[in-house]
Amino acid sequence: MAIIEIKNLSKTYKVYQKQEGLLASVRGLFHREHKEVHAVRDINMTVEEGEFVAFLGPNGAGKTTTLKLLSGVINPDGGTATVMGHVPWERENEYRRKFALVMGQKNQLWWDLPALESFRLNQHIYRVPKQVFEETRDTLCEMLDVTRLLGQPVRELSLGERMKMELIAALLHQPEVLFLDEPTIGLDVVAQHKIQKFLKSYQQERNNTIILTSHYMKDIEALCKRVVIIANGSIYHDGSLEDIVDRFSGDKIVTLHLAESRALDGLANLPNVIEIEAPKIKFRVERDEVGKVLSQILGAHAVDDIVVEDPPLEEVISNVFSEAEKSQEAELAARSNN
Amino acid sequence: MQPSYLKVFLTFARNSLIRDMSFRMNFVLQCLSSMSWAAMNWGLFKIIYRHTGEIGRGTGWHENEFFIFLGTVWIVNSLVQTFFMANAEEFSELIRTGNLDFALLKPIDTQFLISFPRVNWAQVSNGILGVLLIIYSMFKIYSQDPEAAEIGTAGVMSKKFSWIAIPAFLFFVGCGATVMYSVMICLASTSIWFGRNQNLYNFWFYITNFYRYPMEIYQRGGGIGMALWCTFTFVIPILVVSNIPARILAQPLGSPWKTWEWGLAAFAIVASLWSLLASRWVFRKALLSYRSASS
Repeated sequence: MAIIEIKNLSKTYKVYQKQEGLLASVRGLFHREHKEVHAVRDINMTVEEGEFVAFLGPNGAGKTTTLKLLSGVINPDGGTATVMGHVPWERENEYRRKFALVMGQKNQLWWDLPALESFRLNQHIYRVPKQVFEETRDTLCEMLDVTRLLGQPVRELSLGERMKMELIAALLHQPEVLFLDEPTIGLDVVAQHKIQKFLKSYQQERNNTIILTSHYMKDIEALCKRVVIIANGSIYHDGSLEDIVDRFSGDKIVTLHLAESRALDGLANLPNVIEIEAPKIKFRVERDEVGKVLSQILGAHAVDDIVVEDPPLEEVISNVFSEAEKSQEAELAARSNN
Repeated sequence: MQPSYLKVFLTFARNSLIRDMSFRMNFVLQCLSSMSWAAMNWGLFKIIYRHTGEIGRGTGWHENEFFIFLGTVWIVNSLVQTFFMANAEEFSELIRTGNLDFALLKPIDTQFLISFPRVNWAQVSNGILGVLLIIYSMFKIYSQDPEAAEIGTAGVMSKKFSWIAIPAFLFFVGCGATVMYSVMICLASTSIWFGRNQNLYNFWFYITNFYRYPMEIYQRGGGIGMALWCTFTFVIPILVVSNIPARILAQPLGSPWKTWEWGLAAFAIVASLWSLLASRWVFRKALLSYRSASS
């Protein structure tokens, strides 16, 4: 069943363009130049119940704007969207009780008070019965290992601990749909991993529908099967993670562990060598050429071990982003020429 | 299922108190500074009344009557500063930083949610001083032979204290606070269109300069006075905020009230309802233009 349906959704911002210098500032008092920024352009997307979707794109691609539109924080300029049958920007209380938005760069907890006090406030706002509230809070605190920090003022928590508290505050009313905007931003590897683990088990247990934006590919690999890539406000790709690697990475990375280091002399001239650390050599080969290249090497040299893998996801995604941006820019240029 | 607004408000009040208590020196200094301001204010008018018996001949604003007026102003000030001022300022900041997003996500009236999250408990001290000043001044007025209260050249007027005056006073103080709240919300809402509006404190200072005095000062102030009286009674109705509740207790023109005083009281009720509706309209209109901020 489709939980989120987006049709031709668009959002444009008018942004003030300020020229450099004092004179320009004075001129700006009387006349201002604005530029239109198309944050989201005609996007279409459907998300099924229980899906964990990654929403990827370079900075300024329109990810957060889309999440804000779906949360009803801002109004669109065109198109429609429904989440669980509700139009988000109508801001019905019934809808607002069923979803949560977590923003890694913003803080909704009371800064000077222990997180527990903010949780209690959310309990009253969402009208969560006392027993349900206490059970949910205790379970979430246990899962995220923050029970001992409940009485500590938020300003004295580390970034990772604060993020965990933000997640708990957002989940106390047991939302069916979760929008996570860079929830692991700025966290160390351990904290990132803990949050990934938590989100994975939480989603599996409750079958929530989640849209996640993140610049950490580890998050995406660990959590999402489906990836939507957005660039310049338009959806560029929507498919599985494997599809992306297949479609956008033409290479494989081969690591050979040679029986004798001497053999490296003959292989060092291979094109696209990434690293040589005797008796190992790592190089890049075009996908279609892997079999041919390997059989040639195996025919000529003794090899103890072979590893053939896809390039790191970061690299693939970075290629996709630049390709997506180029393609969108070309499309826009063609449109403006017409 | 609607959230319990009372429970949410009580949680706001509780959280604010916990926060204020954790910065106790700041709390004590805030109390002291606002009480010092009140004491200086009182001292100034004490000096003025050494030179005159009444502000405006025949207005009935003698020293004790005026101190009831002053106490009322302190109470309204205290209500505004305790419940609204910090929140209205915070609202402008929420808009600028984009943190209003969180308020829009909650299944509760957004105007309520941004209007009351901070309760500035230190400002209650001013209100308590206002209550004490009113009680003392009323004791001085009503412990005299009421039949013998001579009011300027208007002759001898009687003042009769009735217990109904207390709830009536509280009701009109509530109306006054509503007017002040509405003015502040309207002003803070403009931040959505302007991006930033740091004029709240300035505006508050300007406006309180006018509502701190009995309206007769303006009515007898010639063309400029009448223009100010009309503006601050009918356009931004802040003069009724302090004048109506103060007149109920002080009865400067004696009892029973004159017809125009009743008319003004009725207008105060209409003005508070009207301003509340206006603030709601402005707030909602402004929210339509909210564009959040980049994350």
